[in-house]
Amino acid sequence: MKGPLLLRLGVSTWVTALVALPLAVLIVRGLEGGPAAFLEAVGGQGVRDALWLSVWTAALATLINAVVGTAIAWVLVRWDVPGRRFIAALVDLPLAIPTLVAGMLILAMLGPQTPIGAALSASGAAIAFARPGIVLALVFVTLPFVVRAVEPVLEELDPAEEEAATTLGANSRTTFLRVLLPPVLPAIAAGGVQTFARSIAEFGSLAVVSGNIPHKTLVAPVYILGEVEAGNTAGAASVSLVLLALALVLQPLAGLLARKAGGGRV
Amino acid sequence: MSLAALLLLACSETAPVESASAETAPAARTRTLTVAAFTTPREAYGKTIMPAFAEQWKAKTGETVVFEASYQGSGAQARAVREGLKADVVALSLEPDITVLEEAGLITHDWKAGAGEGMVTRSLAVIAVRPGNPKGMADWSDLSRADVDVLTPNVRTSGGAMWNVLAIWGAGTRGFSGVTAGDEQATIDLLRGVLARVTVMDKGARESIVNFEKGVGDAAITYENEVLVAKASGKQMDYVVPPSTILIENPVAVVDTYAKANGNEDLARAFVAFLQTPEAQAAYAQYGLRPVDESQAPVGLPQPTDLFTIEDLGGWGAMKTRVFDKGGAYDHAVPTGR
Repeated sequence: MKGPLLLRLGVSTWVTALVALPLAVLIVRGLEGGPAAFLEAVGGQGVRDALWLSVWTAALATLINAVVGTAIAWVLVRWDVPGRRFIAALVDLPLAIPTLVAGMLILAMLGPQTPIGAALSASGAAIAFARPGIVLALVFVTLPFVVRAVEPVLEELDPAEEEAATTLGANSRTTFLRVLLPPVLPAIAAGGVQTFARSIAEFGSLAVVSGNIPHKTLVAPVYILGEVEAGNTAGAASVSLVLLALALVLQPLAGLLARKAGGGRV
Repeated sequence: MSLAALLLLACSETAPVESASAETAPAARTRTLTVAAFTTPREAYGKTIMPAFAEQWKAKTGETVVFEASYQGSGAQARAVREGLKADVVALSLEPDITVLEEAGLITHDWKAGAGEGMVTRSLAVIAVRPGNPKGMADWSDLSRADVDVLTPNVRTSGGAMWNVLAIWGAGTRGFSGVTAGDEQATIDLLRGVLARVTVMDKGARESIVNFEKGVGDAAITYENEVLVAKASGKQMDYVVPPSTILIENPVAVVDTYAKANGNEDLARAFVAFLQTPEAQAAYAQYGLRPVDESQAPVGLPQPTDLFTIEDLGGWGAMKTRVFDKGGAYDHAVPTGR
């Protein structure tokens, strides 16, 4: 089995060089000033506000896409809705357009100069240049992850199980919660982790949509850009490390959640 | 010295032969001059100054000059050059970005020695307003009014945004905009009031004014040239010059290390010298910048009561420490409330 061995070696070298090496550099750069410098870089009010904003908007976007994404996947798999293929193709589009453009599109529709945007900001519920805009951009940019994770699992499910549950007297809610949801949960969790990780790292759309006001609408990746531009690369690396750690911690957490729910591995 | 340089420029036929004494005069060849610039003077360079210089150089030496020009934010540009973008000449928004290259050992000569003291263009920090100034903006303090939404770029990402903050800082500490001269605390309060009204802090000055053009905000802190360029291209906006504001000065320098390595020292020096000529100065003025050569300044531009420079505030070093460093006045002025 010489071929597969070479292949395995090649693959592990590739992944190491492509991902592990840059991450190692990031870790070294983020920690090179010692713990005191690291804490100073990530401990200020400005950073903490930016990190917290990134985390909660990402969490909210993940929650929304976990629910909506699952529903979309379910509809696409189970029902022959008109224009199904068209909708399926649309779902993937957010990954294909530069997120900067996604941000510009949101502004073009909901910016203060548009009728909707003007009405919204007059009523004190502005979306553009405000926190709802951040969540909206994240929901848009990460739309495909949960849908694409859940879809294949739903396709594998035997509709007969649902029918059996219904025949045995379960109402649609019970059928959903006891029959449909458990096998799908790991997929939702997996898609959710992707969504969250992508959301806390999202830059392009948020730089345009959020307004970038420190303590209010400045998210961590845009804060990091500020540190880079100000020549503080070590500080930027430190904050990036925090984001990375969050994503890494979340991975096993989601797995645990899925197992508890009775599903398989993430 | 500069007279001698001018004479050399004038005696174009003999100059290259003298400088390349042992070598034979170069046959007509093509040389590439790499210029790394901030975005504002892009049109002035690309459409007017570079073609004019190339033409003059060709007439003088027979060599064809091809420009490779890169335009991006001043800070990003300085970093790119430091990290290895081998530019022969840098044209940046503010002096600290040149300092970055001096500290990296890339600019080794006294770049402030020549005409204009290293500066090629000027502008003023001003308040861009909607046509006809419907909100009646007149001074920096008006930007803190509750009925005004303000745009200014982020000082961390936009070197140019520092000019905006320094304009307000200077106005306050020099006794304008409702502040008693020398009262730094009141100046911080003035700045906080303005920052509290900022709805969008864009990455750079250009993005900020583009957002303003699109209809965001009632006022934007920007540079006079940005407004003049926008107006020239048919955009609807006006601007107000506050009673006290800062004179923005943009430096240009030869990057010694790279120019030497590229064999372009003579060409780079000649280009930088060309930027001080009336021809180049007039081109800058055509694109809304104020020339350092006063004789080329367009007539009728508004003058503030109190126009100050960064030197009047104590220089960039002092202002970085006092205003922009961590724990400085800017940090204190950023509103932390929700």
